[in-house]
Amino acid sequence: MDEHWQDLISQDELEAGDVTPVPFGKTLLAVYDTVDGIFVSDARCTHAGANLCDGYFDGKFIECPLHQGLFDARTGIAKAAPVTRPLKMFKARVHNRMVQISL
Amino acid sequence: MSLTTNASLPATVQTPITQAMAEGALTRKELKALMQRSDKPAIMRLLVWFCLVATTGYLIWLAYDSVWLLPAMFIHGIVLVHHFSLQHECCHYTAFKTRWLNDIVGNFCGLVIMLPNRFFRYEHCDHHTFTQLKGKDTEMIELPENLAGYFWYISSIPYWKAKLNELWRHSLGNLTPGEKKFVPKEERKTVILEARLMVLFYCVVIVVSVLLQSTAAIWYWFLPVVLGEPVMRAIRMTEHVGRPMVYDMKTNTRSNIVSLPWRFLCWNMNYHAEHHYASSVPFHALPALNRKLDGYVHVEKRGYVGAHADILSQLLGRVARQNTSTIDQTNNRDS
Repeated sequence: MDEHWQDLISQDELEAGDVTPVPFGKTLLAVYDTVDGIFVSDARCTHAGANLCDGYFDGKFIECPLHQGLFDARTGIAKAAPVTRPLKMFKARVHNRMVQISL
Repeated sequence: MSLTTNASLPATVQTPITQAMAEGALTRKELKALMQRSDKPAIMRLLVWFCLVATTGYLIWLAYDSVWLLPAMFIHGIVLVHHFSLQHECCHYTAFKTRWLNDIVGNFCGLVIMLPNRFFRYEHCDHHTFTQLKGKDTEMIELPENLAGYFWYISSIPYWKAKLNELWRHSLGNLTPGEKKFVPKEERKTVILEARLMVLFYCVVIVVSVLLQSTAAIWYWFLPVVLGEPVMRAIRMTEHVGRPMVYDMKTNTRSNIVSLPWRFLCWNMNYHAEHHYASSVPFHALPALNRKLDGYVHVEKRGYVGAHADILSQLLGRVARQNTSTIDQTNNRDS
């Protein structure tokens, strides 16, 4: 079955080397410009629901702005307390300079 | 894969910093610039810190067998109890850019002042989630009923009683139902192990002291920390006590403008309202955040003295007590 790719945001609009918040329907997504390419996750921290897009991002790991829990932005894996559950990740690609996710 | 929301989580929580940006107090670009981490400021400050600890410790050595011993231990104690401020910064991972350095230094500070680092981290998370909300804020210091309650708290007797009880209870493997709310199941074993290692560490210090027939730990460490703790209790009171018990960071937290020596000792944590606004902003950027949020957060320009004047005015009935609980304002932070 063919994958259905949905446009999210132009690559030119991304915050270079950082995380960009992108509203998608009723959800807020976090688009990470990582050292290994573009990755997309649900923007909510799995600990207490804070907006990860306001957190500190070092190119690999995203830190929650409220409690400094840590996730690997490339895999969604919870790396440090108080987070224990992984981030919800979306399959992403860049096509014609447009960041897309697969639904 | 679908985009349905996770039912176990609320919609994105309005954190203080998202609120500040929404209200135009600062921009995303400014926030991201202030958040930048570095190891250098903390390492430089630590070098001075160690010199200061050595100097105040030397004062005790000089004052041995004289009437100056007690004042010397008090001064040394004031420095020692400020390991709390560094530990607090480490628990937010904002002291050093290198994350594991925060763990090592945070644990070291915890040993100095008997505050288990891992447990404190979890407890402190809930303090940030439920700041100044009665029954939910895990570190809440309530506005005392009267002067007796005020001095009782500052004496540190209730503090040490609670902390000794907590450490012993954890070392026996017991967490209270309240503690189980903020320490996840997966981490309870770590918290218990941490308490046991800490108790073991203090036992080793005592045994080694006895074997070496040395009283150095008493004069240079234990007694100074006990003597200095009332100063730390008084400082901790200035952060939230006497501020409204509401979910509004613009009013529920107090920043204090203090002189350079105090700012050095407390790792800029006198900018407490700014810290609560953006806890990912490292200590060395808090003065800049203070300038940016000028007029947006509550700042006590008279410093610690002014904060206590405010608290005492409320205790003595000269102004209205700011201790009305409005827990219904938590909204989706009740998660």
